[in-house]
Amino acid sequence: MQCPSFLANNNLWVSLIVGGIANGFLYALIALGYTLVYGVLRLINFAHSEVFMAGGFGGLFAMRAILGTSSPAGFWAIWFMIVGIVAGAAAGGATAFVLERVAYRPLRKRNAPRLTYLISAIGASFFLFNLGGKEFGRITAFIPTPAVVQGNSFTLCGVGVESVWILTMVTALVLLIVLDTVVNRTKLGKGIRAVAQDAETASLMGVHIDRTIALTFVLGGLMGGAAGCLFGVQFGVIYTMGFVPGLKAFTAAVLGGIGNIRGAMIGGLMLGLVENIPLRWMSAEWQDVVAFGVLVALLLFRPTGLLGERLGREA
Amino acid sequence: MKVGAPIAVGALVLTAFNGAASANAKHPATTKPTFAIAYEGPLTGGNAVLGQDMIYSVEFAISQANAGKSFGNLPFKLTFVRKDDQGLGPPAATDAQELVADKQVIGMVGPAFSASVQAAEPTLSAANLAMISPSATRVTLADHNWPNFFRVVADDGVQGPSDANYVVKKLGKHNLYVVNDATTYGSPLANAFAAQARADGAKVTTNTFPETGGCGGTASATQYTADAATIKSANPGLVFYSGYYCDLGLLIGALHKAGYKGVIFSDDGSDTSALITSTNPHSAANGVYVSCACSVLGSTTADKVFAAGFQKLAHFAPAVYSAESFDAASTLIDELKILAKHGVGNITRHHVVSGLHTITYVGLTKTIHFKSDGNISGTAIYVNKIENGKLVQLGLE
Repeated sequence: MQCPSFLANNNLWVSLIVGGIANGFLYALIALGYTLVYGVLRLINFAHSEVFMAGGFGGLFAMRAILGTSSPAGFWAIWFMIVGIVAGAAAGGATAFVLERVAYRPLRKRNAPRLTYLISAIGASFFLFNLGGKEFGRITAFIPTPAVVQGNSFTLCGVGVESVWILTMVTALVLLIVLDTVVNRTKLGKGIRAVAQDAETASLMGVHIDRTIALTFVLGGLMGGAAGCLFGVQFGVIYTMGFVPGLKAFTAAVLGGIGNIRGAMIGGLMLGLVENIPLRWMSAEWQDVVAFGVLVALLLFRPTGLLGERLGREA
Repeated sequence: MKVGAPIAVGALVLTAFNGAASANAKHPATTKPTFAIAYEGPLTGGNAVLGQDMIYSVEFAISQANAGKSFGNLPFKLTFVRKDDQGLGPPAATDAQELVADKQVIGMVGPAFSASVQAAEPTLSAANLAMISPSATRVTLADHNWPNFFRVVADDGVQGPSDANYVVKKLGKHNLYVVNDATTYGSPLANAFAAQARADGAKVTTNTFPETGGCGGTASATQYTADAATIKSANPGLVFYSGYYCDLGLLIGALHKAGYKGVIFSDDGSDTSALITSTNPHSAANGVYVSCACSVLGSTTADKVFAAGFQKLAHFAPAVYSAESFDAASTLIDELKILAKHGVGNITRHHVVSGLHTITYVGLTKTIHFKSDGNISGTAIYVNKIENGKLVQLGLE
């Protein structure tokens, strides 16, 4: 691949941009869980960071069961990784489903005020990550991977592009396209959009509200769980892994326009880049300061986010 | 008689407020008074391994003392109190209040981390509760005139410059990249290292990579891809990381993937085999140097007894600061024994603190004698290296 002349002698630029895009896709996947639930319920599901954690552990246990300590070579072994991501997504989806049934649905049935949902979400978050620490240990564990996911896929302008970054980007793109299709082109998606717009009318039109909301949580959980597995491959799995990426992803969701699926993706990518690029000039301790400063400034001009729309009104 | 009842009640109340220790001291010899020794450190969280390496040492020291195997037949019984501060300041402050309120607690081993000592000491020193840290190395901890503050390891003022001299003069590295984790432990140690390295003629670049969420901090682990790229771009001969193993493992993994081929050197916060398991792939940790004011156990009978007893309790071998924790607990118990020679009633928090300022105790790791500011006498810093997946002690720096 021909390297543009302005990047040819600046490996750091390339590293920061490619790494930022990879991180951005991770944020985007997690952000979908926030944005979907918010779009339907106008509820910030703060326990989504633990859905992400559950995905990490799901992927870890699945890959340990499949691979053990082996690391099969050959491109075909990518299937092992796909199984791991599916397991992570399943764990995330299951956790989100239980979360909706236990922490949110009872409140919804009693017409609880929004503040109660928030407390319930925070409580569920604390419960889940402490449970994770107690049951799965409190030491970072890395997800075993086949050889194809280790090392670099190719070199770009003198910088090795990690295979796991490519895996993350491809997985995120596929899942984002699938989700976008589900929401915009299927009966389930129509139900989700209907509930988001006017739950009462949707109900009168035959949409099963409880099932639709539960499936919305599950869809978000699947995305968050897959992201948890991909994150675990790179940075390890630990019970506290969800908090910071969750916060970042929530920011990405708001930046893109909370409730907007494509907005979550754009917000995630933008956050990943805005975080990394300033490191070209300044110390890493300024990373969050600069990134969030830029985001706040951006939101001042576009308060509803970059794409500025939601799926609809609350259920 | 009407006066007698209030007097009796008053006497009871006074006795109760006098604390269990002194009350127990008046009991007949058949029921020995009980004192508690506490351990405080990270038992959960990203750096829990360091706490686990210490707590069983204290428990073993207490069980040996109670069984009469280490200090003979003591005129008191000891119990053990565990406190988990996750290596952080806020939980440590709460733990300190609870320990002070528990009148049976006569002294403590810990807090283990410098940030925890900083947060807990205002409460502990006000209550004159002796604390002997087996591992807190931040220099300024000894500058507060806390009378109850003691530590059995050399501070970062010794470790940082000693590391720098080793790196520049013995390893021959002159282009250094110094990273700290933005903690109260990592930052001063990195500064001390950088200052000495510059004085030794090395070119030093500094950076701060804050602790990440999975390791007890607030930064995102995703930062390490960019951090590693930044380091590789600077192309230093050696990276000195001042912080704890949990984040260092992530950084080593990222540096490995970024293709960095230089040497990595860290400090006692990373001096644990958990650094290897925290690195992905584990093999990337091979060749990493870690220094420590702590020593590896030798082959004396006392060393072997401790190692066997620790293993039996913990179900893993002693590791970083295990022997120092045993020494800290034993020093405390020895002081109680000395005070008990003049009667068990002589054992008070105040007397324990006073006694520790003059004690000389021959421990497993060194002869323990404290300076007036609570620092240990002596400055030995050891250097270790990970070779073939194992932490090997190379010797003194």
